[in-house]
Amino acid sequence: MTVGTTLILGVGNPLQGDDGLGVRAAEMLAERELPPGVRVEEIGAPGLGLANWLEAESRVILVDAIHMGERPGTWRRFGPEEVRLIASGDVLASHEPGIAEGLALAQALNMLPDEIVFYGVEPVRCEMGQELSPAVSGALPGLVEAILAEIWKRRE
Amino acid sequence: MSKRIDVHYVTRVEGHGNIVVEVADRKVQDCRFEVVEAPRFFEAMLRGRPYTEAAHITSRICGICSTGHAATSLRATEKALGVEPSEQTKLLRKLTFHGEILDSHVLHVYMLVAPDFLGVGSVIPLAASHPEIVKRALRMKKLAGDMCQVVAGRHTHPIAMTVGGFTHFPKREELEGLRRRLVAARADVEATVELFASLKWPQFERETEYVSLTRLDEYAFMDGEIVTSDGVRLPVEDYRQVTNEYLVRHSSAKHTRHARASYMVGALARFNNNYEKLYPRAKEAATALGLKPAVTNPFLNSAAQVVEIVHCVEDSMVVIDRLLAEGITPEEPAPVKLGAAEGVGACEVPRGLLIHHYWIGEDGRLTGADCVIPTNQNIGNLEADMRARVPQMVDRPVEAIQLDLEMLVRAYDPCISCSVHVLKVEGERTKDDGGDYPDSRRWQSITRR
Repeated sequence: MTVGTTLILGVGNPLQGDDGLGVRAAEMLAERELPPGVRVEEIGAPGLGLANWLEAESRVILVDAIHMGERPGTWRRFGPEEVRLIASGDVLASHEPGIAEGLALAQALNMLPDEIVFYGVEPVRCEMGQELSPAVSGALPGLVEAILAEIWKRRE
Repeated sequence: MSKRIDVHYVTRVEGHGNIVVEVADRKVQDCRFEVVEAPRFFEAMLRGRPYTEAAHITSRICGICSTGHAATSLRATEKALGVEPSEQTKLLRKLTFHGEILDSHVLHVYMLVAPDFLGVGSVIPLAASHPEIVKRALRMKKLAGDMCQVVAGRHTHPIAMTVGGFTHFPKREELEGLRRRLVAARADVEATVELFASLKWPQFERETEYVSLTRLDEYAFMDGEIVTSDGVRLPVEDYRQVTNEYLVRHSSAKHTRHARASYMVGALARFNNNYEKLYPRAKEAATALGLKPAVTNPFLNSAAQVVEIVHCVEDSMVVIDRLLAEGITPEEPAPVKLGAAEGVGACEVPRGLLIHHYWIGEDGRLTGADCVIPTNQNIGNLEADMRARVPQMVDRPVEAIQLDLEMLVRAYDPCISCSVHVLKVEGERTKDDGGDYPDSRRWQSITRR
């Protein structure tokens, strides 16, 4: 583990409508000034390979579409305990085989970082198409600011 | 006495497919593999796009074989626009291509296939019972992903590959680092061969037609000619003579057939057709795994993937040695000759023969596209295997038949999400099989890679 590194991972497929929101969020974050030791990657849909992204990091922030039964465009921050619940399959994530399985595998191998945070956004449509829905694209600036606030605050 | 098997979504495959089998009075009444994914309109999405975007769009067809789609797309465009990539470009593409084959094969054999043989329901309990096996798989996947990252700029969905060349070039130290890790990975590769050689594969033989690319100079993954085990040899431009796509009622993925009712593509087809071009270490692995062409047990497609893991690790070292010996030269992509044209790209992606066929207008925008995906080509053959397999098992418990059929489906390593890309929405009867498109009400909205 590299001490003090934070990796932000944007997850999803930009050809699947709102499923691409994690990728778009990663692009928006990459254009901003980030604290030292913070990296952003856009990783598509890594499935069971997710564990390899988590292994060497002290802190990971995932951004993905997630079905929560909320109003579309609603986003929520899941802390480490809740991410462990997602890893146990209690929440249905959007990819198949997807992030839930990838997290579960990492958990089974003790490869989950202590500090893992999941920002989930309720999608409108995850179907063919390259555009994000207005509800989701309208939500992204606020989400990006919240993530920036979290990673900068940690420097204090 | 009747038995019914209805696996509504086979697990541990990419995408959504159902097994439906009905046996009454020891006779098979029904036996089919339903593909129930919603169609994806990639070909329509490509129309009107500049040729420079096609590889980036099609790379998103699949989160596993994104490099394969991108490379095949680039070859289609390059052939249409008269582009001849440099030797360096070909070597770099080959290296990242090997990375993807390794990544995909390791994922399939370890995480999707091995649990069936090691008595667990998925890779998650396998991680608890055999952590060293799963960690080895992740190590190998990491190396494979890093090969793609170093060459193409990203683990998946390559960004540095472009029409005619690359926009980014690996540093000498990066290639040297990969080479050292590949040498070190031989231990993991040997352990992989040992593990899969120890598995008890189901006994089942059904000879079919094996279709793959072939090349005189090497074990074919990119370019070459189409060859079939029935002795047909064709330039890739004539792919339609082999693929003959058609529609059936119970599948949203098109089926294909050549001279027989079905044919097989993938690692086993490549192994059977191109065995002589494998590296000696890969041939030794084949011997250890009990494979000698022609292999006619479809379950052994996974074993053939293990042989290819060995081959790709060895060839990657050779490719890196050539790149290092000649030195990496940052170069401009080879020039295009714009004008109305068409081109066919063909590659052997992890699951088999992939074709992209593009029509490009004078303004450099695509006017049409046809993509033929490996999984489509295998579904008819998989069903033929199921029809031959079920009568051999009618006296076994229903659960055992079900597990066996699920293992058969998994052996094909189907990527159902990729295979569903029906071109038109309206139902349209085909003249010879009476089939039409499946009832659209059954198509479900499912997100996928």
